[in-house]
Amino acid sequence: MSGHGKSKKLALPQQDDHLDLVPLIDCVFLILLFFMLVGRLSNDQRTEQITVPPTKTAVKFESKDWGREVINVFGSTQNGDPARNTIRIGNNDFKQSGTNDYSGYVKLRAILDRIYDKAEKYPDVKVPGLMLPKVIIEVRADSDTEYRVVQEIQQILTDTMDLTNMQPKKNFDVKTLKAFVNLDFTTRKTTDK
Amino acid sequence: MAGNAADGMDEGRLDLVPMIDCIMLLLLFFMMTTKFTAEEKAISSLLPTDKGQGAASAQQKEPPPMVNILIYPEGMTKGYQPSEYAAQLSKTRATGQVIGNAYLRIGGRDPILIKGKDLNSKGGAPMQALVEQIHQYIAEELGKFEKPGEPRNKQNDIVIQCFSGMSWKFALVVYDAVRAYEGKAGNLKYTGNPNELLEARAVSFSPPRIRDYTPNELGNELYEIIHQK
Repeated sequence: MSGHGKSKKLALPQQDDHLDLVPLIDCVFLILLFFMLVGRLSNDQRTEQITVPPTKTAVKFESKDWGREVINVFGSTQNGDPARNTIRIGNNDFKQSGTNDYSGYVKLRAILDRIYDKAEKYPDVKVPGLMLPKVIIEVRADSDTEYRVVQEIQQILTDTMDLTNMQPKKNFDVKTLKAFVNLDFTTRKTTDK
Repeated sequence: MAGNAADGMDEGRLDLVPMIDCIMLLLLFFMMTTKFTAEEKAISSLLPTDKGQGAASAQQKEPPPMVNILIYPEGMTKGYQPSEYAAQLSKTRATGQVIGNAYLRIGGRDPILIKGKDLNSKGGAPMQALVEQIHQYIAEELGKFEKPGEPRNKQNDIVIQCFSGMSWKFALVVYDAVRAYEGKAGNLKYTGNPNELLEARAVSFSPPRIRDYTPNELGNELYEIIHQK
């Protein structure tokens, strides 16, 4: 009885005591490599809620010696937030409360002034005395942004408007202008899916 | 003796757990921070410094001859009063909504229709066909205004006159077609270098005509654009 009562333990081979981790590491390395090669680090300057229009003559961003600032302009976002025509630079949103409210543009111009002051400058070939910053302003406007907003941004960039009433400045000295004239309009190729 | 040999085998194994921890953390970081949106590109533009976006233009006595490219809401034709355009506009869109389709016209020729929905599609055949059609139309019409023998920067300026309430995509796709035409005519290869536009023909977007976007003012704006020569 005692002989039958002895329980027999299964003798497993010693190698199986340790899990073989090599295939797991192989897989994880492959996934890591995939993300490192294919993915792009997210950039706060480029918000994902914007779908830019398609074009054929677009080229890659080329501004090795130039500074670059991105102005995002929203179209009709899915849940209405941010509202259509909202302007965003970095983490700053500028919204207009009504069509005669230019307070957003005043704030936008204040940021542009700071960028201008920091930038390296070169003289304009056409207007004596006008110094231009070596900065490309990228206007990244949604397909459904209103045309007038992009146009008004261009006017703000040239620093030729009186922001209290959005009428042309009068009797100004070109040497005091902080104009940005080099623009990139963000777009996508017509063949992009 | 046997026990000693087994201990030696255990010490010979690499402990992979810390490495796996690190790799998992790296993997998590890349998974959280990467995105797979389509690669964006750019169309470069140079704002005029001698003509201004408003202020300097007031100093000019006579506007130079220019080619106007007109973009306005679908269905609108010449021959109405501003108030009638305002009424048509309010029918076309409810307040705050996007105008769906646009007319594109140069000179006296019939306009072509640009369907906004097609432009929004991603890489579809209708979008590509529409963009091709716009490029062809612009090339044909701009060819009629060529000044033979003149360099590109001595050709008449091109101004894209778009109704303020239209979507940006209509203006940009037309600007793209003008660039394609100028690229061929002037043998320009766009590289994105900001200096390459200094010798190019002046192509600009018209500044806003109005600041007060009431229905009456929008009617006036439409009247002016549709009746441009």
